[in-house]
Amino acid sequence: MIKLFPVSSSTQSPRRHLFDRLATGLIAAGGIGVILAVLAIGAFLAVEVIPALFSGVLDKERITLSLTPLAWGTLKAAFWALVFAIPMALGAAIHSAVYMSSRLRSRIKPTLELMEALPGVVIGFVAGLVLAPWVERHLAGAFALLLVMPLGILLAGGLRWSLSSSMRKRLPLAWAGLWLVPWLAVLGLLALEVSPWLEAWLFGGDLRGWLDTELGIDYASRNALIVGLAMGFAVMPSVYALAEDALSGVPTSLGEGAQAMGATRWQSLWKVVLPAAAPGVFAAVMIGAGRAVGETMIVLMASGNTALMSLSPLEGMRSMAAGIAIEMPEAVPGSDAYRLLILAALLLFLFTFLVNTLAELVRSRLRRRYRRLGDRS
Amino acid sequence: MSLAEVAGFRARLPRGEGPWAWLAAGSVALSLLMLGGLLTLIAVRGLGHFWPASVSLVELDDGQLLAGRAVRELPLATGQGRERLYFTGNRDIDGHVWQWVAVDRIVASEQPRELVVLERVRYGDFIGRLVDVRPAGSHVQGVGGGEVAWAALQARLAAVDALRDERDDLQRNVIQPLVRQLEKDPGDTAARRGLAVANDRIRGLQDAMQAEVVVLQSVDGRRLVLTLAEVLRAWRPNAMSLPEKMGAWVQGVWRFLSEGPRVANTAGGVWPAIFGTVLMVLLMSVLVTPFGVLAAVYLNEVAHQGHLTHWVRIAVRNLAGVPSIVYGVFGLGVFVYGIGGSIDEWFFSDQLPSPTFGTGGLLWASLTLALLTLPVVIVATEEGLARIPDHQREGALALGATRLEMLTRVVLPMAVPAMLTGVILAIARAAGEVAPLMLVGVAKLAPQVPVDGEFPFLHLDRKFMHLGYHVYDTAFHGDDIQAAMPMVYATALLLVLVVLVLNLTAIFLRHYLRARHGALSRH
Repeated sequence: MIKLFPVSSSTQSPRRHLFDRLATGLIAAGGIGVILAVLAIGAFLAVEVIPALFSGVLDKERITLSLTPLAWGTLKAAFWALVFAIPMALGAAIHSAVYMSSRLRSRIKPTLELMEALPGVVIGFVAGLVLAPWVERHLAGAFALLLVMPLGILLAGGLRWSLSSSMRKRLPLAWAGLWLVPWLAVLGLLALEVSPWLEAWLFGGDLRGWLDTELGIDYASRNALIVGLAMGFAVMPSVYALAEDALSGVPTSLGEGAQAMGATRWQSLWKVVLPAAAPGVFAAVMIGAGRAVGETMIVLMASGNTALMSLSPLEGMRSMAAGIAIEMPEAVPGSDAYRLLILAALLLFLFTFLVNTLAELVRSRLRRRYRRLGDRS
Repeated sequence: MSLAEVAGFRARLPRGEGPWAWLAAGSVALSLLMLGGLLTLIAVRGLGHFWPASVSLVELDDGQLLAGRAVRELPLATGQGRERLYFTGNRDIDGHVWQWVAVDRIVASEQPRELVVLERVRYGDFIGRLVDVRPAGSHVQGVGGGEVAWAALQARLAAVDALRDERDDLQRNVIQPLVRQLEKDPGDTAARRGLAVANDRIRGLQDAMQAEVVVLQSVDGRRLVLTLAEVLRAWRPNAMSLPEKMGAWVQGVWRFLSEGPRVANTAGGVWPAIFGTVLMVLLMSVLVTPFGVLAAVYLNEVAHQGHLTHWVRIAVRNLAGVPSIVYGVFGLGVFVYGIGGSIDEWFFSDQLPSPTFGTGGLLWASLTLALLTLPVVIVATEEGLARIPDHQREGALALGATRLEMLTRVVLPMAVPAMLTGVILAIARAAGEVAPLMLVGVAKLAPQVPVDGEFPFLHLDRKFMHLGYHVYDTAFHGDDIQAAMPMVYATALLLVLVVLVLNLTAIFLRHYLRARHGALSRH
């Protein structure tokens, strides 16, 4: 018999396929193993805590007594972070999805991505040791800044309106994100210069004392506003990125249709694009909330870590994550304190996991909706 | 509608977008301003610390003299006038290093050339005048003051530096191994003899370093006699020209990067922290890369793309959003107390109750961070795999490749940039993460780096220092936060630079990847 083909192909082929199947099986086993290991986190936390809960080792009173202040602190910090982060992030997302020139946008997005990557410990350090003492000394100046920034932006818009048209062309809205920066910096410095006189005129030169005597508000140097500002700074880029994705993912035909009917870009955004993208924006906010709840180092360094339960934004608090970071290394494994901390970790885990899953579901549904809308046009 | 009407309408068209559009634009500007402000603050303060700033000699209205570096100026609490903060050093003779002075009390302020600043082993900086350099124990005049003394001091300091290096070298490479050897086998006479010889040599070096003293005088006339062994560095900032200052600045930065911390982390450098961070991150990426890629390949190429896979994918993605402290708790409970405790019982039971692996350490920290960054790598790799057009896979299969061959020869090479992106993002996240490390093995001060010349060379059970934790600890647990601040700024700047460079690399890689695969799918 004449062999037309080399023998090897017929004898090696089954071996090759066997080898292939073996390797695929190994990949599958390894992959499943890794995924199980990652998912084991939740299982571990539950296994450590739940038996203790049911057997009554941890009684309810103890849990509420020790975890309520921490939960309160966590929510308070997250709330103030979102108060700062959401308007900033959504404003930036709207501006960059609708108004910004595409050249600037391709630069701004990676810049804000870098902002997201700044280590929490650095932000916490600056907030706790630089910003907090500074604000304590320049309380009036800080409040003046908070007031001047939005007003200054509106003033810039109004002033631009009264400029000659050639000047106006040189300061287009599409690049406002950039040319407003020096304007705001100058205004901010001006506000700081003027604030001591304002303080002397309105509050007798001592705003802190005035707050204490007139409103009965105690000002703590490391307080919820500082934490909120710092954490808002940390959370804002991720909310921005997701909201921007949702807004710029809306099929352009929708917005263009509205503009063709005579709407301004803002009207078309507010009445058409934003409602279409609302679930995505909501998902972005939720993911921001998840990050704010779990952020450890910023709260640890900027909040004073006093387990207070007060409504005042000018007082400190202690969050669950910070409590775990402080107490866990000293807790004896198996003790009640240790279990309580693991319970706190489980709560954090469940909260963020659920919030993120919800956001992810909303987003995937939204993507399908966009595809449908895009098809119709 | 006539043409004229349309034209008229168009002329009216550029209506304002209203206040909200401006507020939206302003929030972009505001976040850029905040980011720029933060980075500038850290960069200026962090780098400025190494600048040999001029020292002023200040005379107050009551005749008091002080010499120091002006740090900052603030309005007085009463509202009238301003006050200035001087760093005056001399903790051992004054009892403090900072002094606030009301500006209108200053009668004269000048910058005499002869003022010296000494960096010392103990008590921080000395600021004052150099009087003499002479042998210890004698009371006769030595070389005298002025330029001669300055030149002599510089020469002697260089000699003492060499001696100090020799001593440290002996300590590290001869004495410590011998001591450990003796701990294992107390009857080893050769080691005992070697140790005695080495100790003698160190005593000799010690004596040589203390053979001479430098006589100093603070500006208000108090004398201080120091042995040369206590002086690390000396400079005269007012007599330095700009290039000299720049040279000193570069040297200062280099010392910061290459030396260990001193004086409770408020002086010296951060070399052990850099080393610990890099080593931990390297170990972590060695652990995370194969497992992350394996899981991604399984999810994207092998698994049946059904509901279960969809849910698993969502779950993995969400794990990236779980707070890092929760991973720390997991690492502490499972790795340190669980696995580490068992290892101790089985292999190191003779050393119990002092734990070997049953306490935080390098291995557990890297494992915890690997787990923390697994989702990042999985998601990035999967994204890269999904971007590879199906016809590439089909082409390979049609040419007779098996599935494994298709994976290893076609798909994985194409996904390499995506994997790299994932790993770099993982490294960037791990380098900046501090909270979980506080639970699983970071140390405030670890005198021994986890790598040395002793078997098994890489000590996975040792605690290590970390840049991020160094920032936290120095800033919050020091005695003199004011004095530690420049160090904290410099460390924070270093950390930010590392993280930013890593992230920029990832961004560029992803850009390259998109460009390449954009071109590919068009074929």
